[in-house]
Amino acid sequence: MSGRGSSSRITDEEINELVTKLQSLLPESRRRNIGRASASKLLKETCSYIKSLHRDVDDLSDRLSALMATMDANSPQADIIRSLLRS
Amino acid sequence: MQATKSFEQAFLRHLLRGFRLSAVSYKSMSLQERKSAIKLSADVAMASARGSRKWTRGLITKLSREDEHRSFLRLILGTEYGRRTKPRHGSWKIPRSKKIVRRSLRVCSRRKNNLRAPHGVKSGVLARTLVEKRTHALKRLVPGGESLDGCSLLDEALDYVISLRAQVDLMQKLLTTFEAPKLRALSKCTLPERKASFVGK
Repeated sequence: MSGRGSSSRITDEEINELVTKLQSLLPESRRRNIGRASASKLLKETCSYIKSLHRDVDDLSDRLSALMATMDANSPQADIIRSLLRS
Repeated sequence: MQATKSFEQAFLRHLLRGFRLSAVSYKSMSLQERKSAIKLSADVAMASARGSRKWTRGLITKLSREDEHRSFLRLILGTEYGRRTKPRHGSWKIPRSKKIVRRSLRVCSRRKNNLRAPHGVKSGVLARTLVEKRTHALKRLVPGGESLDGCSLLDEALDYVISLRAQVDLMQKLLTTFEAPKLRALSKCTLPERKASFVGK
C-alpha cells in the first residue's frame, strides 16, 4: 500500500477487494450499506469487531465452564458429553 | 464470507480433543481454571484447524509465553511444540522499523508546519495520523500482526475475523447441544449421527 519494497506487487484491485470483503464482514456496514468507507473508519470498525468477538468467546467460555461444573455426574447429559469427548 | 466446512469439522475435532486432554468435563477444578482451559482449547483448536497463517503462528507463540499454558500445548502439539512456539523473526526488526516510522512522521509534520499549509492539508496530516494510530491498534489485536504492514495486515485481519466468527459459532453450538431438551432427542441417535448433525447445521 505504501509502495515500500519491490516485493509488493499488490494491485489496486486487490486492495479494493480486500477492503470490500472486510467491510462486508463488519456488522455496521451490513446494516447501513455505505459506499467505500475511509481507511480510518474501516480500521476502527475492524478493531471494534475483533474486540467484540473476543468478548463473545470469553463469555461462551464462562458459560461452558459453568455448564460443565454443574453437570450431574450420572445424568444423561453428562453421559452424552462424555461420549462425545471420548471419541 | 464464511469459513469452510472442512475447517469447521477440523475445528470441532481439535476442540473436543483439547477438552479431553485437559479433562475439563470430569476433573475437579475451579470455575476460572475450567474457563481458562476451555478458552485455551478453543484458541489452539482454531489455530490448528486453520493451518499455517501469520496469525495462527502468532497465536500459538503468544499462548506459549504463559507458563500455565505450556504443559497443555506440549500435550496437544506433541512433537510440533518446539517448532511452532519459536518466533519466526528476530525482535530486532520491529524496534528498528518503528524508529524509522517515527522519524519520518516527525520530518513530515515539521515540513508541514514550516510551509504553513492551508486547513485542508492539516486535516490530511491528522487523518494520516489517525490511520497510523488505528493501524497500530489493529496490529496489536491480530496475533502476529506487529510485523505486518498495510495490505498483508488487512489480509490477515480478514482471515482472523472469519476464523473468530467460526469459533464463536462453534462454541455457541456446543453450548446449546449440551443443554437438556435437545439431548433427549439426540440420545436416540448414534454417535456419528450426533456429530454429523452438529456440524451440518
